[in-house]
Amino acid sequence: MKKRVLSMTLAGVMVFSMAACGDNGGEKPADATPTPTPPAVVDQNTFEGDGSEIEGGSSEEITDGKFAETRKITVEIYDRGNDGGTDPTNNMYTDYIKKGMLEDHNVEVEFVAVPRWTEVDEINNLLAANNAPDICLTYSYPTIQTYADMGGVMDLQSLVVDNKNDLPHLWDWLGTTNMYWDKSVKDGTLWAIEGKRANNNRIVTYVRQDWLDKLGLKEPTTREEFHDMLLAFKDNANTLLGADAAKMVPFSCSVDVGWRAALLIESMMDPNITDKEFYVNGFDDRKLTQNGTKEAIRILNSWYNEGLMWDEFILHDGDTAEDDMMKVGYVGAFMHNWDYPFRGGEDSINANLKRMVGDDAKFVAVDCFEASNGEYIKYTDSTAGDRKIFFPITNDEPLASLLYLDWISDPEHIEYLQIGEKGVTHDVLPDGAYTFMTTTGDAIMNSGQNIDMTITCNGLRLSTEELTLASTYNNYPPCDPADVKKANEVANSGKRPAKNSKITTIEAEAGVGDKLSAKRNEMYDKCMSCKPEEFDALWDELMADYLSAGGQDIIDERTEAWEALYGDAVTLE
Amino acid sequence: MAKKAKNTEVMVRPKQNPGVYLKRYWQLYLLLLVPLLYLIIFKYSPMYYVTIAFKKYSIVQSVVDMPWAKNGGFEYFIKAFKDKDFLYALRNTITLNMLDIIIGFPIPIIFALLLNELRLKFFKKSVQTIAYMPHFLSWVIIYGIALQLFTKNGLVNLVIQNLGGEPIKFLDDKTNWVATYILLGIWQSFGWNSIIYLAAISGISPELYEAASVDGAGRFQKMWHITLPGIRPTIVVLLILALGNVLGSGFDRPFALQNNAVMENAEVISTYVYKNGIKSLQFSLTTAVGLFQSIVNVIFLLLANWFSRKMGERGIV
Repeated sequence: MKKRVLSMTLAGVMVFSMAACGDNGGEKPADATPTPTPPAVVDQNTFEGDGSEIEGGSSEEITDGKFAETRKITVEIYDRGNDGGTDPTNNMYTDYIKKGMLEDHNVEVEFVAVPRWTEVDEINNLLAANNAPDICLTYSYPTIQTYADMGGVMDLQSLVVDNKNDLPHLWDWLGTTNMYWDKSVKDGTLWAIEGKRANNNRIVTYVRQDWLDKLGLKEPTTREEFHDMLLAFKDNANTLLGADAAKMVPFSCSVDVGWRAALLIESMMDPNITDKEFYVNGFDDRKLTQNGTKEAIRILNSWYNEGLMWDEFILHDGDTAEDDMMKVGYVGAFMHNWDYPFRGGEDSINANLKRMVGDDAKFVAVDCFEASNGEYIKYTDSTAGDRKIFFPITNDEPLASLLYLDWISDPEHIEYLQIGEKGVTHDVLPDGAYTFMTTTGDAIMNSGQNIDMTITCNGLRLSTEELTLASTYNNYPPCDPADVKKANEVANSGKRPAKNSKITTIEAEAGVGDKLSAKRNEMYDKCMSCKPEEFDALWDELMADYLSAGGQDIIDERTEAWEALYGDAVTLE
Repeated sequence: MAKKAKNTEVMVRPKQNPGVYLKRYWQLYLLLLVPLLYLIIFKYSPMYYVTIAFKKYSIVQSVVDMPWAKNGGFEYFIKAFKDKDFLYALRNTITLNMLDIIIGFPIPIIFALLLNELRLKFFKKSVQTIAYMPHFLSWVIIYGIALQLFTKNGLVNLVIQNLGGEPIKFLDDKTNWVATYILLGIWQSFGWNSIIYLAAISGISPELYEAASVDGAGRFQKMWHITLPGIRPTIVVLLILALGNVLGSGFDRPFALQNNAVMENAEVISTYVYKNGIKSLQFSLTTAVGLFQSIVNVIFLLLANWFSRKMGERGIV
């Protein structure tokens, strides 16, 4: 009883304290009105490109890239709170940045740590308290949009153009595509710049190489062959697992079916889908309302009922039970992030398999989900759509902040931040590729390749593409670089990156994202694991519920927004 | 006048002007000011923010400046009641809490009565301690234990299968889940909840038992005619409190135990608020639901209180 009262009180206090934070921010700064918007007519041709097509100016405030007097800016940096990590605001790499910025631009840099896993809440609080760093970054565009609507975010449009000549590395690396990804078609405002994904690999299918070998099977190249392989695994469970045969899971999937069976789901989608249809249903990144999804889940349902899948996946949301099954060797195949079995060094799935099952035991990448036209399409993100960088209205040093973004986009600086020092964080292989070492002390990178610091670049980016690739393959010791190479090639074949619809805000999407995602997962889980004869009725019932909970409103508003912008056209140029 | 009052004070306490006490014991009143301030600052003034339920929430505006919500301020209440998920959550909250009360409320009483009959002190203490223990486990850990026990390859199902039965889906079947939820809740809390009854029992005068023995009453009769009536006021107070919380619920128990297969029966108001309100930054909706929950709870509390007075017991309000 007391516990309930206490938890109620705590919940209440939490809500109220959040509200109180809102109160602190109640007094807006005098200059909180949105910055004047540029001319209403927007040149639509300048949304994509490498940046050379835009003519820009340079600032008179700086000479040779330097301010006459030292300026000071604050920069957000994620704090991952990892065990044994360094102080995210003060370590070998931040010193490198601080020193470089002071020497090159006479700008003093101070880092502000923001917890990575609650970054949206935290940045909300900082913004509401008018206390946000001069350079903010977040994965959530709606957060930026919300503040922009309230006049709390700086319009970057004229800034990046007027100072373009002082920002060569920034424009060069991001190109118009990423610089203008979020530019409004309506009024030309630009609230955020998109950091670039150096690697937009998404999902790959993995199967146990040693099981294939033992059963004399070839790697599956079609969905049919994949299914036959799963059946073969199941029928030969005794040969493959002996006493643990009952624990075998031929194809493993978690509660996030939309991600963990994405290649199957997407292969059922019409490969000639129009950009319009793709966009209208694109609000759910697990493709729930796309045109082939129901049939894809029906296939999964039949596999589930054939006993090819894990029947208790639904009880293990967010724990490591599934990974553990992969590591001890009960799982025959799965789909996940392109580098999943290699992640985690000695604790990676493949390293564990080698240790616990045998030298030849490992997962390898296969490509076996063909679309109706025979292509193996991988729908991936564009280079944008990852982290967004924005300046709050409280930023008094927009130029110095832009120079920071330029400095951090300089290939030389990115390379140093990503690979560190030779003999300390990396070694050079005979072919020139870098291999990464276990580091200690101040040289520890709190995030892989310091991606938290290279805010305009997510993923390895070295001086040449060959070097980047070679180093990527060697980035997962003790896993075999050849396996990583194969996974990378599979992930890259048939890539179809997302296009920019240039439609920025859909009001119906506000505040329903989490709710719809939860409903979608519930729907996938239930429909995958129900009896085959119940499938149709259950799917239709849950889909109706999903649509009425906000899905339909979003689809309608997206359709309207598309038609308002493009009329009858159904493709993006 | 003050002098006169002082003279008669010892004999009969006359009606006094409160100012007199204030003047005489001002140091004590000053001390009282501190906890009073605490209550005002931390308990009462935040209550003003409950108006967020009637306003369109904005994180950069103070609650005074926020614009009123549509429909005369009731936009978010209407929104909640139009939401099927909220109605499910409301239904589940009431069902699960009522089951908790019906099945779970008598158990600590019975346990306390049984424990009270034990004569071997060491045994009694051990049983008591072991029964308290689960109270100190977090629900996440209890869910972990439940997974070990109740899944297909869990201990309980292995026993069932070895005895020739079919494995039972304790956690991923809608109906079974409710039973598991209630039983785990009872297991976790009955020992702890019995403390207050044991305390009440120890307050019953031994003379009553002695007199009953003289009259030839047996153990069961003593339990029925002395112990139970002796702790009746305690039972009533706790029942009123339990009924006053019929729309409230802890967050961690349902949240840790629920899964996608049983969500129709497992989503309760607190988890609904977390998922739809807090995670989606819909603070107005959250506050509206919270306010509704509190009001219904207060109504239940007052009703239960009124009822217990009618039945001749003391109320708590």
